[in-house]
Amino acid sequence: MLKIENLTVAYEVAPVLHSINLEVKEGQVVALLGANGAGKSTTLKTISGLVRPLEGSIRFGETEITSLRPDQVVEMGIAHVPEGRMVFPGLTVEENLKIGSYTRKFSQSELRAELESVYELFPRLAERKRQLAGTMSGGEQQMLAIGRALMCKPRLLMLDEPSLGLAPVIIDSIMEKIMEINQHGTTILLIEQNAHLALELSHYAYVLSVGKVVSHGLSSELAKDKDMLAAYLGGS
Amino acid sequence: MNNLRVFWNRYGLLIVAVLLLLVPQFTTQYEFYVVQRGVQNAMLVLGLVILIGYTGLMTLGSAALLATGAYTYGILLLRLGWPPLLGTIGAVLVTTLVGTLLGFPAFRLSGPFLVVTTVGFGEIVRILILNWEPLTRGPYGLSGFRAVMPTTRGVYYVMVVVLALLAVVTERIGRSRLGLAMKAVKEDEVAAEVMGVNVRRVKLISNALTAALAGLSGVFLASLTGYLNPDSFTANESTTYLLMVVMGGMSNVVGSVISSLFVTVLPEVLRFLAESRLLVYSLILLVYLRIYHVRSSKARAKSAGSRGRS
Repeated sequence: MLKIENLTVAYEVAPVLHSINLEVKEGQVVALLGANGAGKSTTLKTISGLVRPLEGSIRFGETEITSLRPDQVVEMGIAHVPEGRMVFPGLTVEENLKIGSYTRKFSQSELRAELESVYELFPRLAERKRQLAGTMSGGEQQMLAIGRALMCKPRLLMLDEPSLGLAPVIIDSIMEKIMEINQHGTTILLIEQNAHLALELSHYAYVLSVGKVVSHGLSSELAKDKDMLAAYLGGS
Repeated sequence: MNNLRVFWNRYGLLIVAVLLLLVPQFTTQYEFYVVQRGVQNAMLVLGLVILIGYTGLMTLGSAALLATGAYTYGILLLRLGWPPLLGTIGAVLVTTLVGTLLGFPAFRLSGPFLVVTTVGFGEIVRILILNWEPLTRGPYGLSGFRAVMPTTRGVYYVMVVVLALLAVVTERIGRSRLGLAMKAVKEDEVAAEVMGVNVRRVKLISNALTAALAGLSGVFLASLTGYLNPDSFTANESTTYLLMVVMGGMSNVVGSVISSLFVTVLPEVLRFLAESRLLVYSLILLVYLRIYHVRSSKARAKSAGSRGRS
């Protein structure tokens, strides 16, 4: 579904990604692992058009999306939940969600239906639809960020550390929701610091280290590779 | 309290418009002129509601757009002999074009850099008008063109009706899909972009709408005074317009109309104070901002405080 070939990215002159290859198959949950500064977020930003690559190609299905603008990438059906959530704190929950469907040009009834389906997934958001997003807890904001991304009916959902700064019990419930979204047919590309959690949830995983893919494989097999875990992910 | 608010939200604009229509019955000629200027200012400030209130782009160049509208109207009528209606359309189009061009630097600039650019733009326009004598008559001022309506009252009534319509449109824009995109750009440009909002296009549209309103306001200014001089379009005027939109609550349409009228009328009401007039004027504005806006910005800080790392 998503195929990245020889992707090289640099900020000004500092290279961040060195010719990486990556593939996401339809219906899968693919995890992107690695330490801070490995280039995980940059990979997602490059896919969504926020960062321009120096070289390489990104294809979504049959379409070349390497040089598309962010709004065009969203229109293709790729939604990005950025790191740190980035909800609009001064807008209400419902306004935040409506922005999510910006590229879809829904009719009123379609918009309602879409809102309802997000509220069904996250009942907490329904309770708080008139509340300013900035007044909610971190976990609720993360739910909102995910719900907002779902509003554009994406075929591929990219999540940048959805567990960031959340309590373990909240992380569990967020991850459960992500699995639920996947079971409804949305492909997921997930960045996660917690390697064990990520390998448990995903079908396939890539390990990045200083801008290179150092290992990839089925998550169940990577989880057994103790040396790799110890070397790159600080696991034991 | 809550009922009052609902009532005000629904009928506030109507009440203000009706009161404005009654004004000529109760005022002397001079007082009437001041109110007319207030209504004309409000038209421009509606544009700032879109630009500053919705989209969050700061500007101190609005007087230059006002001047562009006013002078284009005067020049089209005087030099090309266009009728007032056509002149109005021409002036609005030219101002929109100029304002849109000004929008381009806004793509890459923000905060103080953007503000300085708009101040620079304002000065360029003013100095251009001052020195392009064959066209603008420079320091001698431009006069002798016809107003949009034959009588002053006629101009006024047209202006109030147009203002009311524009206020409704501005309010509608605020609640539309476009308005939501503008507010998203104001809140967080990167997040808006990730949501599929074409940030450049939204900024460009905001600038164009603001310029169109400023151009229209300029046409009415020309019609009210019948005389245009580059001195009426200094950075000082731009600051006053900024004050009007800030006092109105930035993205509050009715509030901005009222504060435009208030800020225009206040210095005249205080005229009896003679030398201390400007002092009292500033003091009233400061006290108002302190009471009202410190409170609302506190509420805002509170709501943004629990936001995650970004």
